[in-house]
Amino acid sequence: MFYEGIERHSGLFSEYTELRVQENRTCRVGLLNGDVQGNGSSVKGGVSARVHKDGVWGFASVPGRETEAIGRVVASATGNARFLAGREKRDLGRLPRRAATASHDLSTTKPRKSQKDLVDFARALDAYVLSKGKGLMTRSISLACLDMEKTLLTSDGSRSSSLVPRTILYVAASTEASGGGSVEFYDVYGGRGQFEDVFGDPAALYRDLDDLLERLAKKAEGIYPEAGLREAVLGPDLAGILAHEAIGHTVEADLVLGGSVAADFMGRKVASELVTLVDFAHTALGVTCPRPVWVDDEGTEARDAVLIEEGVLRSYMHNKESAAHFGVAPTGNARAFEFSDEPLIRMRNTAILPGKSKLAELIASVDEGYYFVRPSNGQADSTSEFMFGITEGYEIKKGRLGRALRDTTVSGVAFDMLKTVTALSDDMSWMCGGMCGKKQMIPVGMGGPAVRCRITVGGR
Amino acid sequence: MKHEKTIESALAAAQKAGADEAVVTARRSEKSELNVDAGKMSLYRTTETVQLSLVAYVKGSKGSSSTDRFDAEGIALAAGEAVAAARSAPSDPANAIAPASAPGSDAYGDERPDSAAMYDRLTAFVAWVSDRFSKTKLEQCILQFVRGENSFGNSDGVRMESRRGLYDFSAMFTTKDGARASSFNYSGATLRSLERPLEDWGGLAELLRQSAEQLDPGSVGGKFVGDLIVTPHCLGDFVGALDEAYLGGYSLIKGTSPWKDSLGKEVASPLLTLESLPRSVDTASFFTSDGFEDRDWVAVEKGMLRNFDLDLYAANKTGKTRSPGSAGFWSVRPGASSLAEMIAGTKRGLLLCRFSGGNPAENGDFSGVAKNSYYIEDGKLVRPVTETMVSGNVGGFIASIDAVSKELIDFGSARFPWVRGKGVTISGK
Repeated sequence: MFYEGIERHSGLFSEYTELRVQENRTCRVGLLNGDVQGNGSSVKGGVSARVHKDGVWGFASVPGRETEAIGRVVASATGNARFLAGREKRDLGRLPRRAATASHDLSTTKPRKSQKDLVDFARALDAYVLSKGKGLMTRSISLACLDMEKTLLTSDGSRSSSLVPRTILYVAASTEASGGGSVEFYDVYGGRGQFEDVFGDPAALYRDLDDLLERLAKKAEGIYPEAGLREAVLGPDLAGILAHEAIGHTVEADLVLGGSVAADFMGRKVASELVTLVDFAHTALGVTCPRPVWVDDEGTEARDAVLIEEGVLRSYMHNKESAAHFGVAPTGNARAFEFSDEPLIRMRNTAILPGKSKLAELIASVDEGYYFVRPSNGQADSTSEFMFGITEGYEIKKGRLGRALRDTTVSGVAFDMLKTVTALSDDMSWMCGGMCGKKQMIPVGMGGPAVRCRITVGGR
Repeated sequence: MKHEKTIESALAAAQKAGADEAVVTARRSEKSELNVDAGKMSLYRTTETVQLSLVAYVKGSKGSSSTDRFDAEGIALAAGEAVAAARSAPSDPANAIAPASAPGSDAYGDERPDSAAMYDRLTAFVAWVSDRFSKTKLEQCILQFVRGENSFGNSDGVRMESRRGLYDFSAMFTTKDGARASSFNYSGATLRSLERPLEDWGGLAELLRQSAEQLDPGSVGGKFVGDLIVTPHCLGDFVGALDEAYLGGYSLIKGTSPWKDSLGKEVASPLLTLESLPRSVDTASFFTSDGFEDRDWVAVEKGMLRNFDLDLYAANKTGKTRSPGSAGFWSVRPGASSLAEMIAGTKRGLLLCRFSGGNPAENGDFSGVAKNSYYIEDGKLVRPVTETMVSGNVGGFIASIDAVSKELIDFGSARFPWVRGKGVTISGK
């Protein structure tokens, strides 16, 4: 239930101030080879205040949401800002304002399931994998639910409340690899919404699990890719992580100020004209995004940030402070993960827009190369050099898919590699289970179509 | 005991809710933090957090709940949820709690931060970098003091408590001169005092020097199998992968650890001794997460596998011996070579200073990008590299180590030297 009457605390503000009451609620079930190893829930909540004075920030947070706690946290944040302002002697920095009032509650209207229901759901999936998997060494099922509930008041007139839930299911299995050792395959299901709105009858996932086991069997017979610069088709999930890691991080305005090479590229061609890349606030192509943000944690009305338009770098992602520095409007990218976290410039739903080709055409057009399907982790660099782990891929020989690949890594310099894009598929999909790390973790959405390009492969 | 009443109340609440056995952990921490962003002091942040974690066991089944409330109502709610979760799960005979032991407590570090001293230290560091490396940008620096209290109790009578005050510093930076830019790099450490200048923490001064000379890197060109000299900043990634795929309970329960049948056998180079030192490092731990008094312990001694990284549950599940202490406080014992000798003795390879890689595979295969690293040929550092990838197998690399440096870096929570191994695929554009 949202915190009611936050406006009554506005009298505590003496400087530019953001006051946020937040609670994160999680539940999780983890099974390994049928044993329930993780089974529980958690609640973490409290109140925070952030104060801007003379170009520096003070922040404070405490558990609880009582009036006394709110008074104490505003006073501490104000004191912290004054501590720094008194030493730094900066210019008076006025922050831009795009105030908003909004309330969005994405919790389910269905009757809530119990922890036992969640355990039974996971055990049903595990039993199915056990019954269908031939010669499996291990199997694991992990269900993770996160509700983030926030109420925000700012001294420049914003007031917002939001409850945005996410439910993610992770299924992994491993088997003996040809040539010895083991090989693992996993997939991630779910997305925005509480469990009741995301999953239902476990049988609805059985076809996905059949598919997972089939891909594991192919990977067990897999080969190591050939290292070096190769022709490749990146599946939609790879395009999503490409949008996030390779480009997204380099055009976060705080990283631009910190030395990103994107500082030199505004208004210049950085990609094939086929590439348009957007960080969507809450709605993409008419559909609500995996991680919708209507009002960010500085109280700015969130808008889409068109980062690359037909190959030309058009915008960075901003909070109020970076927008003031660059003389542009804030984009609503300031987000905080827990009540005790200050808002940072973070991506929301970052995607490459679809093109006009079919995936089959992309694969058929490659004489010799690879089709990379699923990423694991990824990292970016201020130089735009990126890396993604690859957990599913196939060789392409004369336009046809061949043997599966063992785990590998691909890399490149994004602003060079994006110029090698020669085709995009006409469909797109979202990865909804992403967590981005940058001082704090934060849930993000990543999406895109299949991409044909040249990329460096870290094989053998 | 700081949270004695809370621990006793929570254990009683769990019993009242129907738990046969229970474990309670109460944590409280206060943090004071200063941030530098894009080279300028930007934020002073103070936070308080509390957490009560309750694990309930009912007829061999386990459930847990965690709350930010320490009041009677909040404790009763959490106990009820933990017991309900336990009742929803099947029994697992490996579930167990630590047996009774003598109560103990440990405390170290400052009680509260000296904010003015923190500000002065951080300001001095920013000036030090600016004076020496004018093209280097401090993307973000975080200096924080954390005072933490951690109390543990279980229904068998175990009562442990630790209180500690630690300073933690990290700096991330890149060098940029016009369109020329180095990869970002970072380091830091966690220590008990602010006595040393921040540029001395975690070998930062050397990394900053390297960053300033990495503006014009090149690719290695082609592909070859060569040597890797892994720096202390990068060795932690390799040790982490070794723990995950070879030593840790998860890989042993799964049965995928390549070392699962190798206890007491040679698994690595005789030059390698890998220990976890939870009682000896600056960030010392007094008790394990499952309620045993902590001990320093050896995982690999002169190449021989001596202990796995197993908590009580994983030990019961695998039928192997619980590790004597907590993992993660890793230390690789220094060797007899100097770093200069190791470079001089390398025919062709890389000085791997940062590794940006995919998660290691179950079999220990790794693959990733060599960052802030140098190409070595005929015993000399030739140039910094870019767009250069390395691939190999963690176990294979550990077995191939032929030199360990005398020098090491103490990160406060870990201590690592430079190590050289063989047989890694290195490829460029």
